[in-house]
Amino acid sequence: MDPAEILDHQFVTAAYIITWALQLGYLAWLGLKWRAEKRAAARRTHRAR
Amino acid sequence: MKKFAIGLYVAVTLALMVWGFYQAIYVAPEDAMQGEIYRIIFYHVPSASVAFLFFAISLAGSIGFLSFRRSRAEWAQISDAWALAGAEVGVVFCTVVLITGPIWGRRAWGIWWTWDARLTTTLVLWLIYVSYLLLRRFAAGPQVQTLAAALGIFGALDVPIVYMSNRWWRTQHPAPVFGGSEGSGMAKVMVHPFLWNMLAWLAWGLLILSIRYHVERQHQQNAAAEAQEALESA
Repeated sequence: MDPAEILDHQFVTAAYIITWALQLGYLAWLGLKWRAEKRAAARRTHRAR
Repeated sequence: MKKFAIGLYVAVTLALMVWGFYQAIYVAPEDAMQGEIYRIIFYHVPSASVAFLFFAISLAGSIGFLSFRRSRAEWAQISDAWALAGAEVGVVFCTVVLITGPIWGRRAWGIWWTWDARLTTTLVLWLIYVSYLLLRRFAAGPQVQTLAAALGIFGALDVPIVYMSNRWWRTQHPAPVFGGSEGSGMAKVMVHPFLWNMLAWLAWGLLILSIRYHVERQHQQNAAAEAQEALESA
């Protein structure tokens, strides 16, 4: 395989992996934030009783 | 029923993502000029399109907030939640654009970055919306939402400038592939994979956007309830 082709392949792989790392990282952060908000709401409801 | 619809949407989105990836890597042929490296287009361009769409949603939310803040408090809060969700998810997609672009540029042009109009205006757009998010995160007081809405409106003014930049000025960035001058366009065998990826990233983006919106609405409800409790205990 041509070295330029190998380099192209590595660059495409890097771009795709970084994209997914960013998207899934953000989704995970959103999940944690959602859980924190839900817990805060549940604590408030518990205190109100 | 609602849970079923959400589950179905998530399943369809994931299927689209897998299908889009398959189309981008295995179906789309190698480009005659650029070879393999052009496959970054299947993530780079859809991310830019989705970022523009979400900044437009942020603009609509910001205008909605400023319109309703004195008359309909609930509508104003809903608009504000959309404005924040649009800006934040838009920044995520714009970050993808600003990372995948230089990776592509390094192989296609031999440089990671150049200060041409398209790249610079995109970076400015990203910086404006990052400052919007920093304002919302660190500023305090009753005027934060209003200031953020004003910044959101000004930020959105950069979107058409980014879009038109490689039409108005000569840039290192390639001329528009779609809607460009005569002779522009994409080979038919590449258009289908491209459209599948556009659809997949749009579906993914809308999923993330709706999650961010609901998180913000929950946050608003918690903050309002806490404020009410503080008033009652005083």
